[in-house]
This record gives sequence, C-alpha cells and structure tokens, in this order.
Amino acid sequence: MAYLKDQRRETMMVEGSWNIGAYRYKGSTQLQEYVDGLKEKKLIGSLCPGCGKVIVQPRNICGRCHRRMDKRMVVSHKGTITCFVISPPIEKGKYKIIGMDPVEAGIIQEGAILVPVFVRFDGADSNINTILLNSSPEQVHIGMRVKAVFVENPEGKLSDLEGVEPLKE
Amino acid sequence: MLRNAAIIGCGQTKHSGRRRDVSQAELVSEAVHNALEDAQVSMKEVNALVVGNMQGFGGVAQPELWIGDWIGAPGKPVLRIATGGTTGGSVGQGGFYAVMSGLYDIVVATAWEKHSDSKEAGATTGLLHVALANFFHAFGYGLSMKNLLATSAVGAAAGVAAYQARFYMHRSGCRSEHFDMVAAKCRRNAARNKYAHLQWPNCTPEDIHKTDVIVHPFRMGHVCPASDGASAIVIACENIALKKCKRPAWVKGLASYSDEENQMQSESGGGVGVLDPSEQMGARLSAMKAYAQAGIKDPQQEIDVAEIYQPFPSQELFFSEKLGLFDEGKAWIAMEKGETEINGRMPCDPSGGVNATNAIGSSALQRILEAGLQVMGKAEDHQVPKKVRNAVAHGWGGVTNYVTVTVLGETPAPRR
Repeated sequence: MAYLKDQRRETMMVEGSWNIGAYRYKGSTQLQEYVDGLKEKKLIGSLCPGCGKVIVQPRNICGRCHRRMDKRMVVSHKGTITCFVISPPIEKGKYKIIGMDPVEAGIIQEGAILVPVFVRFDGADSNINTILLNSSPEQVHIGMRVKAVFVENPEGKLSDLEGVEPLKE
Repeated sequence: MLRNAAIIGCGQTKHSGRRRDVSQAELVSEAVHNALEDAQVSMKEVNALVVGNMQGFGGVAQPELWIGDWIGAPGKPVLRIATGGTTGGSVGQGGFYAVMSGLYDIVVATAWEKHSDSKEAGATTGLLHVALANFFHAFGYGLSMKNLLATSAVGAAAGVAAYQARFYMHRSGCRSEHFDMVAAKCRRNAARNKYAHLQWPNCTPEDIHKTDVIVHPFRMGHVCPASDGASAIVIACENIALKKCKRPAWVKGLASYSDEENQMQSESGGGVGVLDPSEQMGARLSAMKAYAQAGIKDPQQEIDVAEIYQPFPSQELFFSEKLGLFDEGKAWIAMEKGETEINGRMPCDPSGGVNATNAIGSSALQRILEAGLQVMGKAEDHQVPKKVRNAVAHGWGGVTNYVTVTVLGETPAPRR
C-alpha cells in the first residue's frame, strides 16, 4: 500500500500538559449523606422496598429491581471479609499509578504490603472496598471477621473510614 | 431474524506493542484493506461502515472523522459505537444489525486501538481520559490518595479482575497455578497465530510461574499486553454472501446484556448489589439469548470452539462457564485435562485470545473475527483440527458488567 509512511519512524509528537485539577465534578446527594454519616462514625446504606436489600454506600435506585431507595439504614461496624488481594512489598521506582510513584509521593511507605479487601458489614447486602489494617497477609482469609477503623476526629470525608482491622469476638 | 447475514471477509493487522510506523488512521486502513481483499469486495461496493475504539483511548475524541477518509467512508453512512472494552463486540453486532435489518447489503465493521500513541505505560493516559469523572468527584468528598491507589484506582477492568479471580478460586477450588496453565496455553496458541502479540512457542506453566507477583493471585505472566492493532470484517446479506464466498460464517445468534455495574464506590458513588464480580449475569443472559436464536440447546455438545474475551486467565475459566461450555465451577478441571487446548474437546481461544493480544477496542471484534475464521476454515496454523459447526465469540467491558455474545456457524440459523 503506497500511502504507508514506510520511510518515517515516528509520527509527529507535540509536548504539552493537561491540568486535570481544573475539573470540578459533583458527586451524588447520596454520597453527601454517606459522608455526613461518617462524621458521626455511622455507616449508612439505603433499603430497597422491592427486594429488601440494604446497599452501602446508599444509592437512589436499586440496581436489580429498579425501585426508589428512599429509606436509610445504619449498618454495623462489624463485618466479614468476602474477598481480598495482596500486593507485593511496594518498592520505590517500580510502579507508576496515574503518573505518580506512590512511594515518592509519600502516599505509601516503602516496603509496605497492601491488602485491599471487600467487606460486607453486618446488616448490609453489598460489599465495601477498603484496606485491611493491623493484620498480616498470612492472617487474611475469606470469612475473616473485621471491624471498621475510623480516624480519631472524623470530619465528614470519605477518608474518615481508614479501613478495617481484625475483630476478636 | 429479518434476513440472514454472514461474514465473508476478515482482515487484521500484525499486533505489537509499538506500531510507530503508522498513524492511527493508517493502522485501521491496513485492517480494512485486508478484509476487503479477503472478501474480494471493492470499497465502492460497501454500503455503510460501523467503526469504534475504546472511547477516549489514544486521546482522539472523534477518531471516525479522521479515519473515515482512510477506509473508504466518504459519502457513506458511518456509525461509531463505543462501549468500553466491549466496543469491538458491539461494533461487530452493529454491523450485523445493519445487514440483518435489510438496511444495507454489504457493511464493513472495524475496530482498533493504538496504545503506543501515549507515552505512559499501557492505557494509563487513556484510562484518565475515560475514567476521570468516575472517581474525581470523590476528591470533593475527601477521598484519601492512599485509598484511591489501593482501591478506587484499581477499580477498572484490571483491578476488578484480581477480585474476580479470588472469588472464582474460592467458589470453584481452582488455584493460582491454574492461571499459569491458561496463560501458558494462550502464549503457545499465539505463537501459531501470525497476527498475535505475545507469542511464546512451547511456553510452559513453569515459565509463567517464574514471573513476579503483581498482586496476589496474579503474576506478571498472567497479564495481557497493551497492543497496537486493528481488525475488520466484511458482512454481507445472504444473496451476496452465497455469491462471493465459498464458506461464509453465518451469524446465527447475537445478544448483549449488562448487569449492575461491578465496580464499587465509583460512578454514582453508591454501592452495588453484585456481591461477586465474577458472577457476570450479563454473560449468562447474553449466551442464553444468542443460543436460543441459533437453535442451540446444549452448548457443551453443539459449540465446537470458543473465542473468549480473557485479558486475565481467570476470566477464560469463569466466562467459559457462563457461556455454558462447562458446568459451573468445573472449567479449570476441564482445562487441566487439556480439553481447552487447540486439539481438545472444547478449544478456548485457539488464537491466543485477549490474554496474548489486547488492542482494547479491537479485542472483542477480534473474537468474532477469529470465530469466523474457524468456521470458514481459514485460521491456518491455529485452525482447530475438527469440523466447526458453531463457534461462539464473547466480549466483556462496559463498567466491567457489559457482555456481547455472538454465535457463528456453517449454516444460517433456523427460521422462526
């Protein structure tokens, strides 16, 4: 095919930058209710009048039976791990997530092993994706009982819920 | 169905990590020209085109405007479809709709991805284009960077795959070693497919097992590459297909369903009722619908080869179950016995699949294309050594919840 640019090694490139900080997206009102609950160390979900499911975080319409979920429920701080993955020890200069090195940026300590988990809090019919704290990769298993860990002074932010830790019952 | 349609020509490009010799438009034109040549159809005879790539990837907002000139589209109706990772599957099905409805007689469907246009690894930049609004609003509600990196940022297809794998392992008894076996099979199959990306003749599960763990249960060797590449099919109505092609691949059934989104704390900010992201109800519903249209009652007996969208090896296992090819939780046992090898009872991804070649927008169209090649007997070195009556092609994407299933066969579907 004659129109192929056989002679050229590179197509043209232009240097530039993109300020993604300029975007100001609005979250849903349900998200605001959820973070307001976190301020009081409460985990809020919404109840479906159709199937009776309680979904945390709250949502407006049930994803399965499409009924309005107007009623709010508070679920327990205690819950069960339903799924987990284990990171290798985080090394500096090895990973880049959305353009940054998490160790260099001071977000994750060098050598840390992260255990992201799915937790179903008692009274909820949905999972929350968060981090397992104060435990070890050897300890984690499906069915493990955990409890929510909040920051000392919650301010009504998503970061008020730090993660979950093993629960001794 | 209103009328029958068939694939009469297939074209794709060689897939690799960096196709710096061509622009995005030139890359797509390679696939389209190859398909037209294969079908012995001229651009003039083409009535309409359906095109698409993963929305936002490659950073071109309206690629069809650029690419149109290169694929014979000027003066013709062009429909662009973008459904995330499923895009190729939807593009193929869009092409089938156009012909089966009687609207057009010959349609070209083409899909592509050119990851190397971004300097960042893989699809990172592309993902930012697509997913910025999915989680950026959470910063306004005090999302911490640590939580973002550990949870939300891995909520895309790659992140959810690790959780899917864990759920599947827990409910089926399969182990990470079985993922080594699937990945090794994909690399070996790819070595027989001249268009595939990660080709590794004689790759063994031990080779894969030597690679680093990226997040348990996944190793580096389990992960699909980010490929540059394009694929195209020529779809024709019954009269033309019979005239132009000795052995067309007839479209017997097609369906697409989605479930609730499977990611959590993204999009709307609300939770989801899907407890197990490997449940994939959309795949089950699509398969049931497509099989009913195709007159297939027992897919385990009537399907001869499957092309499954499996960027991660665990996905080949549980999706093959959702497509009804194996009993629930039993695919890994069949795989262990060699049933999914090219010469096995139920070959899965003889082309190497998405696990060996992933030009995202193109990947699901490639499944349809590869299933078509198997039916037409034109898959060359990776042709399955048996008669192919029916082949099933699967696509997965959307917000990790949307599935396309297409059944192709050597004869048209029974009339209803």
